[in-house]
Amino acid sequence: MSSVESPRREATPAHRGLRITGLQAGVVMALAAVVAGAFFMVRPPDAYGICMSCHTRDLVNWLANHNLGTNLTVAQVSLVFPLLTTIGVLIGASIGAVTSGEFRWRLPERPGKNFVHGVLVMNAALVAAGCSTRLALRTAAGDPLGITGFAAMAGGVVLATYWLRWRAQR
Amino acid sequence: MTVAAIASLVVGVIIGFAGQRSRMCFVGGIRDWILVRDTFLLKGLVAFLVVGWVAFPLSGLVGGQPIGDFGSPALITLALTAAGGFGVGYWSVLAEGCPFRQHVLAAQGSVGSIVYLGGFVTGSFLFHLLVAPLIVTYLP
Repeated sequence: MSSVESPRREATPAHRGLRITGLQAGVVMALAAVVAGAFFMVRPPDAYGICMSCHTRDLVNWLANHNLGTNLTVAQVSLVFPLLTTIGVLIGASIGAVTSGEFRWRLPERPGKNFVHGVLVMNAALVAAGCSTRLALRTAAGDPLGITGFAAMAGGVVLATYWLRWRAQR
Repeated sequence: MTVAAIASLVVGVIIGFAGQRSRMCFVGGIRDWILVRDTFLLKGLVAFLVVGWVAFPLSGLVGGQPIGDFGSPALITLALTAAGGFGVGYWSVLAEGCPFRQHVLAAQGSVGSIVYLGGFVTGSFLFHLLVAPLIVTYLP
């Protein structure tokens, strides 16, 4: 159980800063994603309001295309100027962390593992055309591919969790 | 198109703040429920799905651009999406958080998550320069 981040252990006494429950965050995120797509032209493709991997891809590929002369894929919406969702999340989360006094440098035990996980998750997400957030968003939009990807993601989560528990109890 | 860029930046700030204050994670809900029967994050995932499901058609009714018809996907696309989705879920649990959660953790000082984001960017280039051409070449 050592490598599993337990919610009880991580729970910090939020003396300062706004408290938001998981449920409230889910509501806010879904509304933000739908409104961005329906009213602020964050499309095409459809159901593209939030995607941490596709938007990262759009940003870095756009930068490479414009500075290194490459011709890498970007989503149609990011052709002229890339989406900045990932930058926004970093800013918003920094504001949340600093105002609540939760910002703290923490060093990883095995940074190589973190790096490999980043590479693997990004590649899997680009094959599925969506990170876990966008797969959920596409499921909500009724995309049969999104539902397939989300179901497979849930299966992967279940399998990995049982594997972690099995390894911890061995 | 700059409208979309500015909107996405604003959306990012809002969800980043909400995500930091709530520890929201899209794989953590299922994981925590299996491990300790904790529903804090699972409620967030379910709420995200339900609110999205209601808000998509509703946004079309109040003047927003409705989502198009998705049509029936090809079998190979279906298989690739399932394989990719499985990989996202499996490796995100091993990485202790979905991509969204990793961005939030990186912003609150977790060096491991900053390294993860380095892997994320590297993985994006790797995909477009190596993996995608391989998939296109060797799959029908």
